[in-house]
Amino acid sequence: MSIPKAQVVVYPGSNCDRDALWACKYVGFDAEFIDIHSDIDADLLVLPGGFSYGDYLRVGAVAAREPIAQKIKDFVDRAGLVIGICNGFQILVEMGLLDGALLQNSNGRFLSKIVELEVLDNTTPFTSYFLKGERIRLPIAHGFGRYVKTCDVNTVVRYVDDVNGSDELIAGITNANKNVFGLMPHPERAIEKILGSDDGLRVFLSAFNYIRNNGGVRL
Amino acid sequence: MKYIDILESRLGRKATREEIEAFTVMWSEHCGYSHTKGYIRKLPKAGTGGNAGIVPLDDYHFLAFKVESHNHPSAIEPFNGAATGVGGIIRDVLAMGARPTAILDSLHMDKIIDGIIEGISDYGNSIGVPTVGGELRISNFYKHNPLVNVMAVGVGKNEHLIQSRATSPGQVIVIFGGATGRDGIHGASFASEDLTGEKATKLSIQVGDPFAEKLLIEAFLEMVEKGLVEGAQDLGAGGVLSATSELVARGGLGAVVHLERVPLREPDMLPIEILISESQERMAVVTSPDKAEKVLAIVKKHLLFGAIVAEVTDDGRYIAKYKDEVVLDVPASLLEESPEETIYDYTPSSPPKFKWIRFKNVDAHDVFERYDYMVGTDTILPPGFGPAVMRVKNSSNSVGYSLSIHSRADIGVQDPYWGAYITVLESVRKTLSVGAKPLALTDGINYADPDIEPMGLAAQIRGLKDACENFGIPVASGNASLYNTYKGKGIPPTMVIGMVGRIDNLNIPLPKKGPIYAVGFSDFKLEREKELLTEITKIVNSGRFVLSMHDYNNLTTFNHVLNNLGLHMKIQPPRTEPVHQMIIVFGEAKTTVPSRKIGYCF
Amino acid sequence: MQKYNFVIDIQYKSNVRDPRGETIKRVLNDEYSIPVTSLRLGKSVHLEIEAESEEIALEMVKKACKELLVNTVTETFEVRKI
Repeated sequence: MSIPKAQVVVYPGSNCDRDALWACKYVGFDAEFIDIHSDIDADLLVLPGGFSYGDYLRVGAVAAREPIAQKIKDFVDRAGLVIGICNGFQILVEMGLLDGALLQNSNGRFLSKIVELEVLDNTTPFTSYFLKGERIRLPIAHGFGRYVKTCDVNTVVRYVDDVNGSDELIAGITNANKNVFGLMPHPERAIEKILGSDDGLRVFLSAFNYIRNNGGVRL
Repeated sequence: MKYIDILESRLGRKATREEIEAFTVMWSEHCGYSHTKGYIRKLPKAGTGGNAGIVPLDDYHFLAFKVESHNHPSAIEPFNGAATGVGGIIRDVLAMGARPTAILDSLHMDKIIDGIIEGISDYGNSIGVPTVGGELRISNFYKHNPLVNVMAVGVGKNEHLIQSRATSPGQVIVIFGGATGRDGIHGASFASEDLTGEKATKLSIQVGDPFAEKLLIEAFLEMVEKGLVEGAQDLGAGGVLSATSELVARGGLGAVVHLERVPLREPDMLPIEILISESQERMAVVTSPDKAEKVLAIVKKHLLFGAIVAEVTDDGRYIAKYKDEVVLDVPASLLEESPEETIYDYTPSSPPKFKWIRFKNVDAHDVFERYDYMVGTDTILPPGFGPAVMRVKNSSNSVGYSLSIHSRADIGVQDPYWGAYITVLESVRKTLSVGAKPLALTDGINYADPDIEPMGLAAQIRGLKDACENFGIPVASGNASLYNTYKGKGIPPTMVIGMVGRIDNLNIPLPKKGPIYAVGFSDFKLEREKELLTEITKIVNSGRFVLSMHDYNNLTTFNHVLNNLGLHMKIQPPRTEPVHQMIIVFGEAKTTVPSRKIGYCF
Repeated sequence: MQKYNFVIDIQYKSNVRDPRGETIKRVLNDEYSIPVTSLRLGKSVHLEIEAESEEIALEMVKKACKELLVNTVTETFEVRKI
């Protein structure tokens, strides 16, 4: 049985890609970077945080329409696991793979701090190592994290206190099949205690073990 | 003697219009350091100089770091002035072959100028370099002359260290990054009488493009890793002219520059404009002709513009051409030999009795939260506790480094010599307080008008020199910003010191519950300093958190970060002179200096 | 007193660089093959204001622009009544 493989998509302007790779390798993934022209050959695809295309038009707008977009959609249809972190979440929303919209924080400012979150759904491949209702601490660092609900959605994590004006304090959601997970907080920055919190480790561990137990989707 | 006269006597003839433009830029204070290079020569140096300072960190890595100011642009347009300041210093560090890993800023303003905070935040966050510390000094002294000093730090592998010079004739120079426009070019008024460019106002505002900068960082590092870079220099003040002439002059070489090859974003630019434009986000790379195509392929892959713009020659002449027309033909070394202004000897005297001039007590926490301090997952100690502490991943010996930025303009205004000296000492104390061994410092000189008041500048730099020599801290790099005046009135001499230290044990003591002590002396006697430094190291090694600040009445920010840890403190802040030798320790420590309990942490 | 509606179109001045506009223009040219020769990204403010006359309303809108809405160092603006 092969080692679960993760690929981190590096868009022009992504800047949390190295952190994401580090987190994947930390839990045991065979992990590598790919760019917008690459083919996908992975069990887990990570869309990392950053400022793809400078966020110059709308956050994630240009990145969502790159050559790799169709391949990501096919990967999702094959039940591949995708996690979109921060800018990655914004890209998934612009791609239509997740519902809703991510707009500017209600106070109009970028916010960088460690916040408390509540895990609402521990039945996803990304949250099986958490307890339902568990409180965890993850860092946020974003200017456009206000989640606007446009239809019913599966909320996986929510903020305990309002930090950016998100509807229903939504911090992270999945699609109906629960194989696409988008969240504004950065689990890849919380995998070692020395960094302030290691609650993010279990997101990657859950995904790793889900793939190990259920088999991956690599062709 | 006026600079134009010096130029014409060196050339042996009248200067052409293009020469006047070129030398106005190269012999400006910003590029030429006329008022400071005599002093800087006498400072104890570290590393090999070049763009930014280099110090070895461990057997495999070096640290590149430097502080730079962007004061005048930030006074005109705060957001873009501050943003382009960040961009420039990042490229400086990058050019040494180091990945930029941290930003710190020292801001002096009369009130919190949102544009400046936004500018640094926007640019730093976009390029993914964490802003891990800084100082915010609010005072009316800076009402018309805000000071924006930004320090960048990078870590590189020894095999990737890049020189900032061309080494042999036959090499070529590639300019790449954003396309070139008319940014930073002064209007039609040539400064024919007075070549000190710092006094000339720039009509066009420089706007930053952090997306281009991020692409540039990745492209350059890819070139470095593939061994394609033989020399490099970032393009800042003076643009193509400054970068290419410095690269060749340093090795006694010359260059032929083909201005028509520079990728442009504005039509109909005059050759001289192409030569001196200060468009942002550009880098010059020296490489061999057989590697140049690979360099350009990387440039293109990263969505940037680039071209082979110059050849390195052996005749020492700097020739800039537009197709066949020669625009400039002068000895390359002449461009670097800006006239040196008189330097003065300053005789230090013992410290006077200082008065408290308190800058406004602000909670900088709101400001910190606008900067991503975590990207890169190497930030071990976040802003607010004192110096920042970073680690180097993948280093077999888990080495780390400390970073601090600090100034004492409140002392500098009373005595420029001691203002600088004390800033260095307090930086050493801060470095030791996180268990780091000081490696070197970078100095940011911010001064008013040295033509009217030269002794303050002499005193300030002498204070820096003496402190460095007495305490064994070499100077790795630095910057000078002069003429910070408004209608004749100038800022206090403000010496900003950035210091880096090496950390072998990343388990830094943190504040914990228990008694809090004030350790040391409420006044200052130089001969006690070495003992204080030894004690700080001992206390940190015994696992106790040490806070070393200059004003213990100004603990709002520290209190806030303490609360974030779930702790509170109740203390009677120790009363001290404006210059003192006092630290605060969380927990009881065995020490040879006076110590008394001042409260507790719960 | 009457209500008046205005649209304020805010753009960078022509001598100020617009890297955002340049980048988006390049994307349209290179990735969508749409031959845009110039693209500038600005802001649009729609506002409704109560005043005794259109002239007075326009004066107040201009004041709002100069004092808050527009960075007069880098931006220029145009007001249109709708």
